[in-house]
Amino acid sequence: MALEFDRSILGEEFDRTEHDPVTADELIAFARALGETSSCHVEAGPGLVGHPTYCIRFRGRKFFPDNLPEGLRSRMSFDAGKDIELGAPVCAGDRITVVSTVHDLYEKTGRSGSMVFVVVRFTMTNQRGELVAIVDNRMMYRGQE
Amino acid sequence: MHGRRFDEVHEGDELGPVAHYLSKDQVRAYARAVDHYYPRFTDDEGARREGLPGMITPGNMSMGLLATLVTGWAGPGRLRRLGTTFRGLVLPDRTIRLCGAVTQKDDATRAVELDVWIESDEGERLVIGTATVALP
Repeated sequence: MALEFDRSILGEEFDRTEHDPVTADELIAFARALGETSSCHVEAGPGLVGHPTYCIRFRGRKFFPDNLPEGLRSRMSFDAGKDIELGAPVCAGDRITVVSTVHDLYEKTGRSGSMVFVVVRFTMTNQRGELVAIVDNRMMYRGQE
Repeated sequence: MHGRRFDEVHEGDELGPVAHYLSKDQVRAYARAVDHYYPRFTDDEGARREGLPGMITPGNMSMGLLATLVTGWAGPGRLRRLGTTFRGLVLPDRTIRLCGAVTQKDDATRAVELDVWIESDEGERLVIGTATVALP
């Protein structure tokens, strides 16, 4: 499937979502669900910080931009993987803002045929403007039927 | 803060494998903690209605389990980057193995590169990835 799209879509902010303040209970419940036992992740107090993957629970209200190539808009995508660059840890009271962009869009041919990947990037900052994480979500579309 | 020092680590060192029984209740607890309490992550019948073989583990949870493996080895606060590819369904109610290996050391930055993966009890690699940790 030949993929044609307007490259100006890449890097263009299409969503900005500010989340409610994080609570200590949320941080602890998340870490405990992963079987984490480190006191810095599961004990309330001034030393509590979020598990490193806590940030991936945040996303924008809108996951894809409205101007996604037409051939992809109505199709189901699969979560093919993620890349996270970590910055400041998430702490209780933090308000996380997620800015969403399409970071990349490419085709690949594998054993099961052609696939299209849309990499949706979430850039997350806290209320102090510190970078919390850059999360690249690789969403895969199988070749058109 | 416990964990490893850069000088103690060598290319080829292994993380784990850690055998982990992934219960359905643990997956449900994760789904609840992230507000993704959807049938595919919480009940077999609901998941089958979506064409799945039964309830599955969220990809983000697999990533979290690998992060826990890495920070348990390196020490809290030392994970800088984690990238994963979801290759197969991680089904709960069975034992998985969390594995890793040191692939590269950078003396200048004291960063250590790792391969990490989750494999089934049968040895199939369901999630693969790489990670970077910074060690003192």
